[in-house]
Amino acid sequence: MSAPEGGLPADGRPQYDWETIERSPEFRELVSRKRAFIVPGTIFFLAWYLGFIVLAGYAPDFMGSEFLVDGLTVGYVLALSQFLMTFVLGWMYLRKADRVFDPLAERAVASAEGREHAAAETAAPEPARQPQPSGRVLPQ
Amino acid sequence: MTLLASVNETALVVFAVVVGITMVITYLASKRVSTATDFWAAGRSLTGPQNGFAIAGDYMSAASFLGIAGLIYLFGFDGFLYSVGFLVAFLTVLFLLAERMRNSGKYTIADVLTFRLKQKPARSAAALGTLAVVAFYLIAQMVGAGVLIEALVGIDFSLAVVLTGAFMVVYIIAGGMLATSWVQIIKAFMLMSAAVVMTVWVMTKTSANPVDLFKDARGQSAEGQKYLEPGLFFATPLDTVSLGLGLVLGTAGLPHILMRFFTVPNAKAARSSVMWAIGLIGAFYLMTTFLGFGARAILGRAGEEAAGTGGNLALPNLADELGGDLFLAIIAGVAFATILAVVAGLVISASGAVAHDIWSNVVRAGRDSEREEVWVAKIAAVSIGAIAIAIAVIGGAGLNVSFMVGLAFAVAASANFPALLLALTWRRFNTTGAIVGVLTGVFSSVFLVIISPKVWPGADSEGGLFGFYDLSQPGIISIPLGFLGCWLGTVLTTEPAAERKFDELYVRSETGLGAEVATGLKG
Repeated sequence: MSAPEGGLPADGRPQYDWETIERSPEFRELVSRKRAFIVPGTIFFLAWYLGFIVLAGYAPDFMGSEFLVDGLTVGYVLALSQFLMTFVLGWMYLRKADRVFDPLAERAVASAEGREHAAAETAAPEPARQPQPSGRVLPQ
Repeated sequence: MTLLASVNETALVVFAVVVGITMVITYLASKRVSTATDFWAAGRSLTGPQNGFAIAGDYMSAASFLGIAGLIYLFGFDGFLYSVGFLVAFLTVLFLLAERMRNSGKYTIADVLTFRLKQKPARSAAALGTLAVVAFYLIAQMVGAGVLIEALVGIDFSLAVVLTGAFMVVYIIAGGMLATSWVQIIKAFMLMSAAVVMTVWVMTKTSANPVDLFKDARGQSAEGQKYLEPGLFFATPLDTVSLGLGLVLGTAGLPHILMRFFTVPNAKAARSSVMWAIGLIGAFYLMTTFLGFGARAILGRAGEEAAGTGGNLALPNLADELGGDLFLAIIAGVAFATILAVVAGLVISASGAVAHDIWSNVVRAGRDSEREEVWVAKIAAVSIGAIAIAIAVIGGAGLNVSFMVGLAFAVAASANFPALLLALTWRRFNTTGAIVGVLTGVFSSVFLVIISPKVWPGADSEGGLFGFYDLSQPGIISIPLGFLGCWLGTVLTTEPAAERKFDELYVRSETGLGAEVATGLKG
């Protein structure tokens, strides 16, 4: 295995043992936590949006009906709910990314670099990982 | 209340101020741009908020500012459907692409696609996808610019197109992405300020309560309650759904928007820039309620003819009604800045496809210097600008702007978005899949638009070229076809090298390990 800083290959990309990192428990946890947010989040916003569009196309009478007061339509209220959804889901993603995904990504990178150095210097098997100072990476 | 046929001097002065500000920015930027990373990605030196403003400036074209308000003025609720689609689309960008693009790309979307696929064929396909989107979008914007400037300032259509094209080329060749970004940031600031001022003005004239505004607007429309319901603009329900699908997925395939993620130092800044953009764009589209319905309440039925086809002049007319000549000139100046910022973003992404993708990586196979690449980019920007000017002048004001913007979004959603998403997330995806997918996406959307009723108007061809096909928005067919092409091309072939390299792309796109670093700028 080559050291990570051991010169760049022809395509100019830095080299790591990508396959080992990809299989590491830290990376697996990162992608599964991300997937657990992004997949349901995407399904939800696409469904809510496409539901709105389908109603606008096929149920104009329903969309034009009065909502609570004269002048306000169901369609406009549903359109506003799309704005609200975009702000809220965007904000939730940012919060989750700052608090959960970023620390997990850092941990995956740190342990990968730890492994590389250990392998290059001592050819020892995987060293014990440094305990992480931040408790925020733990599932909430 | 009439828009001057002769030259409007106040508007001319405002336009000169707008051009003056952008030229100063370009001059300052030109002294700091030296490397290829400076030219394409502004040295990756932009902060999240700066890039958020620039995304908003890149995204909200005159179609957003004048077009949506005009559609609401003419057709009520249906105009608002565009606003919703344009905004929700940023969740697609945020969840699926923004950070991954930043971590795995360099200058263009083709860099992401070719990370693990075969350079020449995959890059050529990606460049085709980029150029197709930019071509339709750019010509639409240029024609829109010409029509607007002719109506608002009184400058002849052809001269207006030539001037717009000339300014955008100067920003790019002198200041690259740095100048383009700051032109977009300033434009976003001007656009938001103008929208806030106008919204407050409309509120004082009518009511701060939107429900009262809706009632006023309904009272001023011949359609009555129908004005507040969907269906006045989109007559075919399937078209509404098809357009919605194209909007919500198309933004995540627009090369000039995706390219903006290469201008920030890291993934965290990329996602915060999307959130800033969501805030700005969302607030802006909420204000279009007051602008569009307000125009209806204030201008009434009498203003319909003066608003022109598509209602593009409803907002300038409203400005004239509210604040007279000076305010009209300011709104016209903001619309002009809006167009300049968008076309500059489009042309720099197209010059990336020509210089970085086709010239540097396909023709020269990476043997050229950075200097050469930037020079080719500048030549490409001038050429693309010249071609766009020529098509817009020859096609003239008669080109249908809205169908070309719809087509741009459909191509982006059907060709670029599936290929990028699958390259980043599906291990098995390969070069053949990318090529088949992009080609299917581009040609199916173009073909469906060519046979659509929008292109073949008139009684004889009521249902388009083929009677049974009456969709004018291709997304609902072309997007699944794009994904299908990607899948089919992939499963029919194997490419072990692409699968082996997936680990590298996957780890890099999710963690940022090995991603391009910020180089900063001189001075």
